[in-house]
Amino acid sequence: MLPESRSKTMASQAMKIAALVSVGQHPLSRRERRADQDARAVELALSLSPELPSLIHVGSARNESLRAYLGMGLNNLKVLNADQDVDAVPALASYLGEQALDIVLTGVRAECGEGSGLLPYAVADQLGWPIVPRIVSVVSIAGGYAEVWQALPRGQRRALRVPLPFVASVDPAAEPARQSAFGPAQRGSIDSRPCAAEPDQARANWQQHPAKPRPKRLAVAKGGTAAERMKAATAKPQGQGGQVITEGTDREKAEAILARLVAEGVVR
Amino acid sequence: MLTDWLLPILLFGALALMLIGATRRVLAWRAGRNEPVAVVAGLMAMPRRYLVDLHHVVQRDRFIANTHVATAGGFVAALALALLVHGFGVDSSILNGLILLSAAGMFVGACCIAWRRRNPPGRLSRGPWMRLPKSLLVFSTSLFLITLMTADWFPAGLVGWVFSGLLLIGLALGLAEMLVGMGWGGPMKHAFAGALHLAFHRRPQRFGGGRSTGLKPLNLTDSTLGVAKPTDFAWNQLLGFDACVQCGRCEAVCPAFAAGQPLNPKKLIQDMVVGLSGGTDAGYHGSAYPGKPVGEAKGNPGQVIVDGLVSAETLWSCTTCRACVEECPMMIEHVDAIVDMRRFLTQERGETPGAGVQVLDNLIATDNPGGLDPARRFDWAADLELPLIADVGKADVLFWISDGAFDQRSQRILRAFVAVMRAANVDFAVLGNDECDSGDVARRLGDDATFQRLARHNIEVLGRYEFNRIVTTDPHAFHVLANEYGDFGGHYRVQHHSMFINELMEQGQLNLQPKALGRVTYHDPCYLGRYNGEYESPRSVLSTLGIEVQEMTRSGYRSRCCGGGGGAPITDIPGEYRIADMRVDDARAVEAETIAVACQQCTAMLEGVVEPRPQIKDLAELVSEALVTEARA
Amino acid sequence: MSLRIRRNPRLERIRRNRLHPEYESLMAARVSAIGPTGLRRINPHQTGFVMVQGRKRLNRLNPDGVGFAGAGQPGRVQAKEKPLHRVADPLGYVAAVLDLPGGRLSSHDRDVLGLAQQLAQAKDEPHAVLAIALGDVRETDLGGAGADRVIQLNQLHNEPLTGYCPELKRAILNATEQHYQPAFWLFPDSIDGGADLGSRWAVQLGERAAVQAWQVSKETTVCRGGSQLTDWHRPTPRVLLLAPECGAPVEELRHEALPLELTLPEPVSVTIEDLGPVSVDPSQIALSEAEFILAAGNGVRNWDQFHQVATVLGATEGASRVAVDDGYMPRHRQVGASGTWVSAWVYLAVGISGAIQHLQGIGQCETVIAINLDAGCDMVRRADLTVIADSEAVFAELLNLMNERQTGIAPQGVTVHEGEARHVA
Repeated sequence: MLPESRSKTMASQAMKIAALVSVGQHPLSRRERRADQDARAVELALSLSPELPSLIHVGSARNESLRAYLGMGLNNLKVLNADQDVDAVPALASYLGEQALDIVLTGVRAECGEGSGLLPYAVADQLGWPIVPRIVSVVSIAGGYAEVWQALPRGQRRALRVPLPFVASVDPAAEPARQSAFGPAQRGSIDSRPCAAEPDQARANWQQHPAKPRPKRLAVAKGGTAAERMKAATAKPQGQGGQVITEGTDREKAEAILARLVAEGVVR
Repeated sequence: MLTDWLLPILLFGALALMLIGATRRVLAWRAGRNEPVAVVAGLMAMPRRYLVDLHHVVQRDRFIANTHVATAGGFVAALALALLVHGFGVDSSILNGLILLSAAGMFVGACCIAWRRRNPPGRLSRGPWMRLPKSLLVFSTSLFLITLMTADWFPAGLVGWVFSGLLLIGLALGLAEMLVGMGWGGPMKHAFAGALHLAFHRRPQRFGGGRSTGLKPLNLTDSTLGVAKPTDFAWNQLLGFDACVQCGRCEAVCPAFAAGQPLNPKKLIQDMVVGLSGGTDAGYHGSAYPGKPVGEAKGNPGQVIVDGLVSAETLWSCTTCRACVEECPMMIEHVDAIVDMRRFLTQERGETPGAGVQVLDNLIATDNPGGLDPARRFDWAADLELPLIADVGKADVLFWISDGAFDQRSQRILRAFVAVMRAANVDFAVLGNDECDSGDVARRLGDDATFQRLARHNIEVLGRYEFNRIVTTDPHAFHVLANEYGDFGGHYRVQHHSMFINELMEQGQLNLQPKALGRVTYHDPCYLGRYNGEYESPRSVLSTLGIEVQEMTRSGYRSRCCGGGGGAPITDIPGEYRIADMRVDDARAVEAETIAVACQQCTAMLEGVVEPRPQIKDLAELVSEALVTEARA
Repeated sequence: MSLRIRRNPRLERIRRNRLHPEYESLMAARVSAIGPTGLRRINPHQTGFVMVQGRKRLNRLNPDGVGFAGAGQPGRVQAKEKPLHRVADPLGYVAAVLDLPGGRLSSHDRDVLGLAQQLAQAKDEPHAVLAIALGDVRETDLGGAGADRVIQLNQLHNEPLTGYCPELKRAILNATEQHYQPAFWLFPDSIDGGADLGSRWAVQLGERAAVQAWQVSKETTVCRGGSQLTDWHRPTPRVLLLAPECGAPVEELRHEALPLELTLPEPVSVTIEDLGPVSVDPSQIALSEAEFILAAGNGVRNWDQFHQVATVLGATEGASRVAVDDGYMPRHRQVGASGTWVSAWVYLAVGISGAIQHLQGIGQCETVIAINLDAGCDMVRRADLTVIADSEAVFAELLNLMNERQTGIAPQGVTVHEGEARHVA
């Protein structure tokens, strides 16, 4: 992480922050766990206010993997009890609307199910709040505005100013979530309350399958003579040992390296 | 005469003060967690434990052992007799003579101690401990002369008021050190706490030649998991801390201390004493934790230890190599204490340092520390056609593969061992993907919940099949399977591959053609040696291979850790040197060209040392290289 | 002009196609020459045919066939312009909202345009692909990438559309929707803005967008679910956020890229204000995020120089375990299985022999360059380019070269060498 991106704890201000959390799954073992991005959202929420953030989940209160969020040092997790196939957005939006919150944080995409990343947008839309995607930190909060940093590709950042209250999704480049400790996880309470969530009609006739491996696009050599195209198609794949420069002066060697760096576009 | 009425007052007064202090001390211990002990049996066994088991450890330093016999024996005898003679007024010249003899013996011992303390080695604590030999000399001299005086064996002309007064002051000073100090926390505390510690030791199996090295299971429903405050220790652990004599033998063998990591087992135990009685470590006069000043640590029985008394770094520096425990003459269990405090850090605070968090998360999610696909655990053996026990149902040997399955270097060891077993026509089978990490790392990192889950899973899987014994190439898995699964209902006959290969060799099952390897030394893995007492089998395997082992200075029960145990490479607390480098230096000192090892963790650690260095070979690799492959048509 | 060779595409086409009904008659017109000794003679200049791209092919099946008719002079092959595809009067549109990172089409953008063309052509009525290019556009060839129509704006009511302004962009999409009602709205599902704008747009339209869609037809769409572990098969919605390589980019044809009129929307109030990029020190970027890593190992002696080179090249610093153990670099800069797994585009390893743990950690790096003294070490085997030299000397020259680049002195050697490398390749 960037040292300067570390969120300052704004101890003077007691912000009302909620983190929306989901049940994640490990990409290899598929075991249920806390979702990485949601956990980072909780981490960011914890760093923003001396008051503990509230955790909200729509689903089953009996899911033990939710306890991993409590293990981050929270006492309580609110579950809006619903079946797996409901549309969480209306229930969430109406619940959040009652809470007088300043910031709602969540991950960019869920690890299970559709994982479309549309939920924060839909919730923000129903609440009429702005949404800022992919933030890595909240730099300051003052005068009803927050300055947040947004993740851009290759470690770059952009500063945005957004009025409170707002919804933000937390990028995987944000501060990693603290360890979930077993003791507090077991002792924290999961409160469930019923919610009037409707089954997700839009998804009713979709089918879910295990992901099919996607074919890799082959680099088709175009142009040149037939011999060149033949050579390109049958050449050994790269990585079987590269070019080795032994001869030459140090300057020539440095030039070779620099030429490669320029060709790869990392030195401009 | 002055002595007639003052002596009993002195003796009984000191005794009374000692008892008051001792009672306070006992109450302080009893503030710890309850732990049932066999009181009567323990007290009955105590003398034997003291005279045999403890002496056995002390005897490693013959000079101090003899000194201690003279001093302690002399003191106990002299005090008991003095109570009879001077306290209860029994008048017997035989008894007086015996007092003289005991005091003289004590004097000789004290002289030796004083001589030793002229220029004490760094591991010894100074401060009150420098005073002790003087107190011993004063006490023994005073008692000797007073006894001469009261028995009227003294030239009468020499006895005067001043002289007897001086003697009484001397005796009073001696008694203050020996008796009052015993109850109130002076150096002599070790005698009283040590005796009770031996009686109520948490691991009575260690006495009488036995061994008890498995960690105690944690009750996962406790209100605080692990040890946060001194009072969260079991009461007899607290008692054990008080038994410390600050001899610093633990410090001298601790690999983390030598590497300049902020751990000193002696200081750690003394800090526990500070926490137990409240106060600061300003009264500590031994070597500090490397890189940390003395005098800043504060604690009391109700204060969380890592908040001001001991830094978390200290606890995470330990490699759990057990060298300190092996060396401790007072049989103190440092590793238990450290892991207890780690449990609090991991399971209550969520503060496992370094890559520890990732490793634990991986173990929780994928049952292996690397976070690799659990369905690919058995991929390494895809070409070996190993029999799965799920297919064959039963086998003589269940080959426990351990997480080496995911590591390319360890796979070479595993393959070598498979070749050896095949050559000996062993009836073996493996669990394949059903095997999970043994839980060793999770447990040493303080995550007993994950350890227990993994243990229960493995025990459940193992329970499905019939086999005579488990054989593994990983001493950590070996230890956990053999010594720690029992608490969860898993009782197995477990062998390390060195033991198993040795058996095969003794039965003549292996056709070997030894190769010349040059100078070879053998590195004892902690979890095979000190944890399981297996020093002979690997050496016997090597000698059957025609290898004459060039022993390093620190070998056998004194083997220096490779730095790979207890999750130390994962938590990675910075020090001045790397433990593995120091270990390879040990091997270079005996000009070894090959270091034979018997643990894949040791292999990884020692091979991490920058070349040139001796080559590292596992026993299984050495044996498989020496196998005569019969020409099969 | 008189040199200009006139070709008859129809005849050429027939000659290429042996199954063509007129092939036989056309080919039979020429009879092979019989030499004076009775040997059959072939004039190689009259054998074969010309491919669409202008390449000459021999026709070995029909050696007597017509030669390079019209090709006349060998070696005068002409670069042929791609044929232009016109949609004269579209009855509908497929809108593709482009990312244009840095003002240029990304390969993801091209895939989206390619898919847009597929969807447009699958429609029964003629549909045109409407490319929406907002902000600073430097790309000149939107037509070549498959845009039939273009809406291109770099400001809205004097508010520039550069930087982060999803609300302005959404207003423009809204105006487009009102005027043209595209049949589909396609966005690249990317971190460069496509995913964000597409999600906002889907929510505004009340459409359940397909996200991470990778197999799209007119009727059904397959999209990747959470953690890339599931595929959702669903009817194709109006709004699609497309995964990279969702479709083949347009290559064989040109498109018109005609600008399209758009009545600008009313000014909108902006709630999210862009305060501009935050200057990020490349050396401070987390290793796992970095795109260019300069990593040092046991072979590096001059650490000041190493840090200097990293600064000058704009690289993120990494280190091998040994360098970290020896205290030259902090632990969080350690690359490898026991440190950080990196996925940099370019990994420049200096004095690293390549322990297996280290090589595991750089497994995902695209290009590995090594500077090493030992030509036999594992890192050299892994590297795409290795320089066998003393790192200190090479570093010194690298610093000189970078200095020359920055002060404007043309680094002659570099260009020469590039030319050589190409020649050798």
